[in-house]
Amino acid sequence: MAAVAKTSGSARAGEPETTMSGDAPSGAMLEIAGLNVSYPVYEEEPVHAVRDLDLSVRSGEIVGLVGESGSGKTTLARAVMGLLTQPGRIDSGSIRFDAKDMRALSENQLRAIRGRDIAMVIPNPRSELDPLIPVGKQIAAVARAHLDIGRAEADAMALDMLKAVHIPDPARRFRAFPHELSGGMAQRVVMAISLVCSPKFVISDDATSGLDVTVQAQVLDLLRTLVREHDTSMLFITRDVGITAHFCDRVAVIYRGEIVEFARTADFFENPQHPYSVMLLAAFAHNPALRNKWHKPLASTEAEAGRACLYAPRCVHREDECDARHPDLRELGARHLVRCHFPVERVA
Amino acid sequence: MRILRYIGRRSLFIGPQLFGIILVSFLLVKLIPGDPAVMMLGPFATEEQLAMLNEEMGLDGTIIDQFWIYLQNLVQGDLGTSWQTTKPVFDDLAIRFPATLELITLSLLLALLIGIPLGVAAAYFKRSIVKKFSDYYGLLAGSLPDFWLGLILIYLFYTIMQVAPAPLGRIDFAVLPPAPVTNFLIIDSLIAGNWQALWSTLGHLVLPVVTLAVINAGPILKMTQATMERMLESDLIRYAEMCGLPKSVVIRKAFRNSLPSVVTIVSVLYGFLIGGAVLVEIVFSWGGAGQYAVQGVLNADINPVLGFVLFSAILSLIIYLLVDLIYFAIDPRIRG
Repeated sequence: MAAVAKTSGSARAGEPETTMSGDAPSGAMLEIAGLNVSYPVYEEEPVHAVRDLDLSVRSGEIVGLVGESGSGKTTLARAVMGLLTQPGRIDSGSIRFDAKDMRALSENQLRAIRGRDIAMVIPNPRSELDPLIPVGKQIAAVARAHLDIGRAEADAMALDMLKAVHIPDPARRFRAFPHELSGGMAQRVVMAISLVCSPKFVISDDATSGLDVTVQAQVLDLLRTLVREHDTSMLFITRDVGITAHFCDRVAVIYRGEIVEFARTADFFENPQHPYSVMLLAAFAHNPALRNKWHKPLASTEAEAGRACLYAPRCVHREDECDARHPDLRELGARHLVRCHFPVERVA
Repeated sequence: MRILRYIGRRSLFIGPQLFGIILVSFLLVKLIPGDPAVMMLGPFATEEQLAMLNEEMGLDGTIIDQFWIYLQNLVQGDLGTSWQTTKPVFDDLAIRFPATLELITLSLLLALLIGIPLGVAAAYFKRSIVKKFSDYYGLLAGSLPDFWLGLILIYLFYTIMQVAPAPLGRIDFAVLPPAPVTNFLIIDSLIAGNWQALWSTLGHLVLPVVTLAVINAGPILKMTQATMERMLESDLIRYAEMCGLPKSVVIRKAFRNSLPSVVTIVSVLYGFLIGGAVLVEIVFSWGGAGQYAVQGVLNADINPVLGFVLFSAILSLIIYLLVDLIYFAIDPRIRG
């Protein structure tokens, strides 16, 4: 286990070995270690979007990644795909996917993996789908790009996928253009595109955030069913901590590019230990007293990276040590990782 | 079906649009100082002669009377007579418009061949020599006057190297021109099977076409590059990359989605060049429509000017209709 966890260590040399990946077996599908991603800013300090991040997703597992907007969720997803937006760059760390070092692969090798082995489900897909091409053809195009098949076969696969994602009247929708579809239906098309090559790994980036709550539930159920059926692993990125409860095997909470808590879903919801996790959960609770107790208005100044705890300015449990020393991610209880000097014992 | 209804609705407005254009241009042309009678009769004409000629030409009435006369003639297909050429304006334009159209159509086709590949390449290879080259090219094409480039080309290829024909019109004087059918010399030569005339026509087209194409490839290049750059950064293309689509497919996708703005700029250039090619026409003694109109303006010869405006307006309307049809073909969102 330790051997797997310590794949790069470049950024964290000298630190004690942490058991980041929990009891990750050698069958880890995705293994991120010590990942740092930053966006250079002209004549200023670069913005660190992802800091020293360790995360592993095992084969067949669904891991939830929860964080507010700007926490680095999407940057992480794009870093895994090797498609950071300009001028973002990976400063250090390793990304291993299916025993391959993603950072060492060429652009052509990455292109062969994208859409084939790692597929992305995106939110608000109506601006992402090509407005000029019928959706069925778009699904078929991805199949043809990765699988050695002819046009007719690809079309047949696309039609099957439209059926699999429960689009009504699939033969007619095959020829529909994106602007003729509802948001929910476009979301299903994107799922069909992501699953058409039966990928080993799916990254869902806030995929249902643009949908009505009822449609959202249907789409999520479908996504989970399909992922389970294909024995696919998934990184499920969301802003809605509530969704992860039903959806994920493990939950990671990310704050300003750092994992602050990582635990099995049941443990996380029974006994959240990081004040930020508690705040997120309280925000969804129908209990104003609880919400007020754990919420603190955003501070005007952000904590300085490197020395203090990044969450300190917003933390209701802040103490002197929080400003003096940056907490490490440590294991509290079985496979329950928390980055806090004073973890929450029991939520009141 | 939808497209037919669209064309029908569109053509309803053609009449009023043309009327507006004629009215405005008539008034504007009348504002230009200059008395045609003086120009025609010369400096030694007497007052009586001038008055007589003015009456004969219907220029003694009010401007409204004059407009009314013009409209009445226009409805009968009579655009008046040019006093300079002493021929009906319609007959003059029937020769000169094809001359200009032949020139600018070929020029724009060549400009597209230069501008689009360069624009696409410059957008895709952001830090390459191609990008640098097209940046400079855009700057240069925007700052070089076309007539100057034409003169340089004449000097190089006619005067010094002597590979180009003399810049004196559309065809060699020694070559028998084909029987006029469309007045597009290429088409007429083909119809007549007159290969000598075809060869001479093409030879005469090379330099002016290259001149206009090199200059007008600039805006096409810039528009293609800017749209492609934006498109390559768009959600659409990011998603295509996430799906691992091959490079060629991604570029084609970006280009197809950029196509409407390229079509737009080409249509604008086309409408502009009908009159805007005039300096190049003069340099090559082309005998085109722009040249004809400018001569009319300079010599208080009103009818050619108005005829030119009318022809250009009709042509522009046709071009914009065509552009709309192209949009229809490209974008299913408009097809509905």
